[in-house]
Amino acid sequence: MKRSLSATIGIYAAVIVTCGLLLFPIYWMFITALSPRTALREFPPRFWPDEPQWGVFHELLANQPFGLWMWNTVLVAVATMILSLSVSVLAAYALSRHNLRGGQGLGLFILTSKMLPATLLVIPLFAIFRSTGLVGSLWSVILAQSTLIVPFCTWMLKGYFDTIPPELEHAALVDGCSPLGTIFLIVLPVAAPGLAATALYSFVLSWSDFLFARTFLTTSEAKWTLNMGIATLKGEYITDWNVIMAGALMAAAPIIVVYLVLERFLVGGLASGAEK
Amino acid sequence: MSHVSGAETRARPDETRRRWQMIDFSSPRHRAKFGYLLLAPAVILMALIIIFPIVLSVDISLQDVRMARVGGEREPWTLENYRWLLTSPEFRNAVWVTARMVLMVGGTCLVIGLLTAMLVNQRFKGRSLARLFIALPWAVPEVVATVIWAWMLDSSFGVVNYALLRSGLVAEPVQFASNATAAFFAVCFVMIWKGYPLVSIMLLAGLQSIPEEQYQAAKVDGASPWQEFWFITLPGLMPVIGVTMVMTTLWVFRDFAIIFVLTKGGPVGATTNLSILTWEQSFSFFRMGQGAAVGVVTMIICAIISRSLVGRFARSVH
Repeated sequence: MKRSLSATIGIYAAVIVTCGLLLFPIYWMFITALSPRTALREFPPRFWPDEPQWGVFHELLANQPFGLWMWNTVLVAVATMILSLSVSVLAAYALSRHNLRGGQGLGLFILTSKMLPATLLVIPLFAIFRSTGLVGSLWSVILAQSTLIVPFCTWMLKGYFDTIPPELEHAALVDGCSPLGTIFLIVLPVAAPGLAATALYSFVLSWSDFLFARTFLTTSEAKWTLNMGIATLKGEYITDWNVIMAGALMAAAPIIVVYLVLERFLVGGLASGAEK
Repeated sequence: MSHVSGAETRARPDETRRRWQMIDFSSPRHRAKFGYLLLAPAVILMALIIIFPIVLSVDISLQDVRMARVGGEREPWTLENYRWLLTSPEFRNAVWVTARMVLMVGGTCLVIGLLTAMLVNQRFKGRSLARLFIALPWAVPEVVATVIWAWMLDSSFGVVNYALLRSGLVAEPVQFASNATAAFFAVCFVMIWKGYPLVSIMLLAGLQSIPEEQYQAAKVDGASPWQEFWFITLPGLMPVIGVTMVMTTLWVFRDFAIIFVLTKGGPVGATTNLSILTWEQSFSFFRMGQGAAVGVVTMIICAIISRSLVGRFARSVH
């Protein structure tokens, strides 16, 4: 079906305008971070700074424990990724290869993580973690996040495992490989792309968490995550927006990079109807 | 055989015991056991961190508790918290705020999601790049998105106020922080910006699943683009629209970070949805019994709303 030139131009124009409007906040974050402080109080605001102030990042790292926040966030995200993936791989394999009665239960579990207001969950969790001394420790956040991520990861991984023919494992079993061995030596290498996508998806979810960190880590400033730090910056330094935006940029950059790399895999899983 | 040493004879009972203890998991008889063993970590984790706490939260909601504790003395059960809930203006306000948020955020996400999905559904070079960029806000952490918008909506120097003044829509800068209506819209803006990508992606998948033949048949019958949209696209998308709207609704009910960082629920409760109210009662005012009651009611409402999703997930898992 041939399309007229004007229609093609129309579509491209629409795409550019739409992307421009929708992604404007990201552009604005970038511009504000690089603007000199005086330019922030200009009205009308500048849409491009005369001289990009690259020193703002140094200023941020010098005046705020930003490096500490970043470190904590990375720690939590990696731990969450490892924990939730370990648990999910085993569960997904079990549900994929063994026709257990847990199949229906999985659907319900995923639903639980969607319909459960996390703000309700933190009340008893706070009490439990207090009694076990985990309040103020990163482990409280890691455990809470992992548990909410596991159902969805299990579902995603089960989908991937379902596409791998069981003949590979049968052959390995015949050759004398143990059942656990078949998982690690046969299935996981083949499912590597799906594994990577699921791992990084849990990384993204962990990075975005705010509620758990805010509830469990308020009193231990040394354990704050990026989101907590940036939220505090916004509360205190309401005039140093360039510094805040620089922090926002550094906090968002890793995740945006992950997204750009993995979008292909993630969209496939998301489109079949799932996580927010 | 006659020169079997005493040591070997003694070893045989040990061997048989060991062999007994080593269940061969690759045999069909034991396969199910192996499966349940693999499932165990997930089940234990969910039981400890989700199921038990939820039961505990219902328990807390039925007690006159300010600070919840595990173990120790328990207060007697009472319906006082739920009585407070049904008569308190805060709860009614939170329900009203949540309802309006659901309508505004859900409706706008649907419109933006549909328009962007239809745009990206067209065939043009760079289409996957466009899809990538249009869904980018999904990847931005909620707190970061909120902080960017907080700056854009700044009452003195924000770019949004600049645009509004410049276009003549307002006479003086809008006070997004202190004006109740403006604050509500501010929260909705951020939610819509964060929420539309997922709607867009799912609607795109829905659009692509509508059979091409239907459109071709319509063309043969001389249908206009509007008629094509109304009689083919929209009906074909109805199931997906249903799912995305339920998911968006549940998200608005549950979201905490955006509202908390932007307005903390203010001014004067103008942006306090049920989720914020739950947290506020529990961790700002330390009335955990009441907070838990709000949370339990919210969870029940969400459970009812998500019933429609149960069939979908159960089916897709099998």
